[in-house]
Amino acid sequence: MERQGGGLILGLSLSALALVVALPMLFVFLQALFPYLTEGSFRDPFGSITRTLSEPRLPGLLGNTILLGISVALCSLVIALPLAVLRGLTKLPAAPLWDLLLLIPFMVPPYVGAFSWILTLQPGGFSTQLLGIDGGSLIFSFTGIVLVMSLHLFPVVYFALSRTMATVGGRFASVARVCGASPLRAFLTVTLPLSTPGLAASLLLVFALSIEEFGTPATLGAHAGFHVLVTAIHLRFTDWPIDLPGAAVLSMLLVVLALGAFLLQHWIITRRTYVSVAGKSARDEAAPLGPWRLPAVALFSAVSLVAVVIPVGAVILSALSRTLSGGLSPDNLGLENFAAIFANRGGALDALRTSLSLAVGAALCAGLLGTLTAFITVRSTLPGRRMMDFLSLLPNALPGMVVAVGLILAWNREWWPVPIYNSMAILLLAYVCLLLPYPVRYVGAGLRQIGESLDAAARVSGAGFGMTLRRILVPLIAPNLMVSMLLVFAIASRELVSSIMLAPPGVSTVATFVFGQFEQGSPGLGMAMSVIAIFSSTALLVALNQMQRRVSVSAD
Amino acid sequence: MRKTFRLGLAAIGMAVGLSAAASAQELTLYTAGPADLADRLAKGFEASTGTKVNVFQATTGKVMARLEAERANPQADVVISAAWQSALELKERGDLLEYVSPNAQTVPDSLKDSHYVAQGAAALAIVWNSKSGKPRPSDWSDLAAPDYKDAVTMPDPAASGAAYGLVSALVTTQADAAWKTFGGLKDNGMVIAGANAQALNPVLQGAKAAVMGAVDYIALAAKEKGESIDVIYPASGTVLEARPAMILKSTRSPDLAKQFIDYMLSEEGQAMVADTYMLPARADVAAKRPGWSELTVLEVDHNEAPAKRQELLTRFKTAVGAQ
Repeated sequence: MERQGGGLILGLSLSALALVVALPMLFVFLQALFPYLTEGSFRDPFGSITRTLSEPRLPGLLGNTILLGISVALCSLVIALPLAVLRGLTKLPAAPLWDLLLLIPFMVPPYVGAFSWILTLQPGGFSTQLLGIDGGSLIFSFTGIVLVMSLHLFPVVYFALSRTMATVGGRFASVARVCGASPLRAFLTVTLPLSTPGLAASLLLVFALSIEEFGTPATLGAHAGFHVLVTAIHLRFTDWPIDLPGAAVLSMLLVVLALGAFLLQHWIITRRTYVSVAGKSARDEAAPLGPWRLPAVALFSAVSLVAVVIPVGAVILSALSRTLSGGLSPDNLGLENFAAIFANRGGALDALRTSLSLAVGAALCAGLLGTLTAFITVRSTLPGRRMMDFLSLLPNALPGMVVAVGLILAWNREWWPVPIYNSMAILLLAYVCLLLPYPVRYVGAGLRQIGESLDAAARVSGAGFGMTLRRILVPLIAPNLMVSMLLVFAIASRELVSSIMLAPPGVSTVATFVFGQFEQGSPGLGMAMSVIAIFSSTALLVALNQMQRRVSVSAD
Repeated sequence: MRKTFRLGLAAIGMAVGLSAAASAQELTLYTAGPADLADRLAKGFEASTGTKVNVFQATTGKVMARLEAERANPQADVVISAAWQSALELKERGDLLEYVSPNAQTVPDSLKDSHYVAQGAAALAIVWNSKSGKPRPSDWSDLAAPDYKDAVTMPDPAASGAAYGLVSALVTTQADAAWKTFGGLKDNGMVIAGANAQALNPVLQGAKAAVMGAVDYIALAAKEKGESIDVIYPASGTVLEARPAMILKSTRSPDLAKQFIDYMLSEEGQAMVADTYMLPARADVAAKRPGWSELTVLEVDHNEAPAKRQELLTRFKTAVGAQ
């Protein structure tokens, strides 16, 4: 009985993964191999590969991409590590507030974030107008790109690491302390090494995200003369004739890079075991901060200022400006842009509704599928489970444009019994595909810390596979799952690139609306929409969080 | 858990249900911006014919990429692009339906063909921030003068067909003088910044003083909203980027598609085009901006070989010092 239940769940999640991730990936791969695939022809195989790979600029682009990925991963780590330690191991005052604040960078679309930094720092920008500081040479440089991207991506590391450290908990460190280790030594030799799965998983995500991110390199890189693979891929989509095969080939290079990072991560976390949650109940043993309360709060405030207040402030200021050339004088400020949004100009409110409901749907679907995938890859002995693990990371390394093309090639066929393409379902599918890596990474990291003795105990007591999952494992990994679903929600509510390609005619999302306004020379309207989207998704998160807390309290 | 799953299923079911509502008496339009124009044309067409128009609006690149990816099962009936070149290529591949609208009689010959016709056209211009403190430019070469040190942006000719057309036309008509201008722009540290919006925004905020070759109707609309900019058409001439409207051969409703083209070229439709500050395709419909008689239009060779184009792009990038 237990075997059957397990087999069914296994089979369902495998086919879901195949449908959601493998199918579009397969089509991208085929497109790279067969340049005339869109015409239904298999002629000239490999033609595009040799053409694209023999381009003289390629090594430079590849080098820049790797340099950017590593720099952003390291810089994110530097920002996130102290924050995560404080959040995970100490009694930080107002902890939920900081969590919420640090989630906001994620809800700001990268191209809006980059644009708001430009508006802030470029000569004549807000910092010149308010403080007399011209940051033009900082923002339009490699350092500027790395900083902007890290300030946007560090929450990935912060959330994974703080949750992992909280689970590893003070308990192991206490043991070390009892054995005579100093607090620092206990941290360095016990807590930090035991947190490796969360650390490695989140750095892998950041690396994969930064090599595929388009918004920031496109807006800042052009000024700095810094070009990466993604900008080259994007050029193949914008420059006539459209070169889909070439874009697919370059995307394969990104996949190879991500594969390298994945193998490294895999090697790091499988070298030894990181089990730290066994049968014994662990009490929450967060350390009191004592005299360090103030510096800790100051650090959180400083990071929030730079990562949240300044960019979001710039978004708000430009949304309030009637014209950009009018600057920040009182007679140039007003609420016209917001009024236009609330009057539903250009379908603004419909776009907001579409995005928020799709984001909730994506968080639920990706959370479910991600948990199952993580469970299979970490806990089962299924052949090909490592393949599955890698497969679930793939969408993160591929640029959104390319995933979107894969989805069109796969789903725009007459032989599907239900028309998925050209319906809202294709957007849901795209978001789940693109964002599946978050729950898989986060939940997987959590599972690696849970001793198998717990499953065994449950089974001995007569629980089947499903019940073990439901009653033992899911509650234990709930914090990781929740955080990953919040991230999925945050990103899905503002995803741009695949939304532009896949939105059915007549449907717009927050991001496509904002982008359209930027393109057509109304940045103020786009910014007003961003402000409303950021605040409404934050409000929704707070509400969900409250609800969940009430539910878990009543369950206790 | 089970609840989550059910919710997910419900979400998928709902989305599928929404899609099934589409019926045969509808037309699908893929179009480059502005969204307002597409929506107005769609509503106007629905009001006069009763046919609903589903609009997919994105940048020309995204529209074309989507068309390309959908080739196995094309979804669009009518396509409006912002790059003339794209119509030539689609026609050559045999993707377009031949149609000459009776309303196209007053469209100049350069803006129509047996398989496509312009919706309207935009010109490239110098957009100058009048608060910048820099002298008002009157020709492209003024931007290469020392006054404009670190003050010029330009959309990337590698990414924008219109910007490439400008480079190519200047080189054809001015030869050495054009290369001298480009050299001066290099000395001025001109920034080549992605698409049109990325070149325009720094000029709006005053970080830069002028755009070399901005799409005029977008700047005219921004000026109308109160931005302190001027749109200047250089004396030595500029290029037009016409926006081809075409019917895909794969359309399931060719008659409706033809009616849509007729409507777009009707006086009503062309007035909507004029409202965006574009140049209407029909010469007999008044423009709300400098019209045909006030522009010196330079010829663009749309049949240029790709290799020659690549060569010119490389030479241009070296000349202006772009990496």
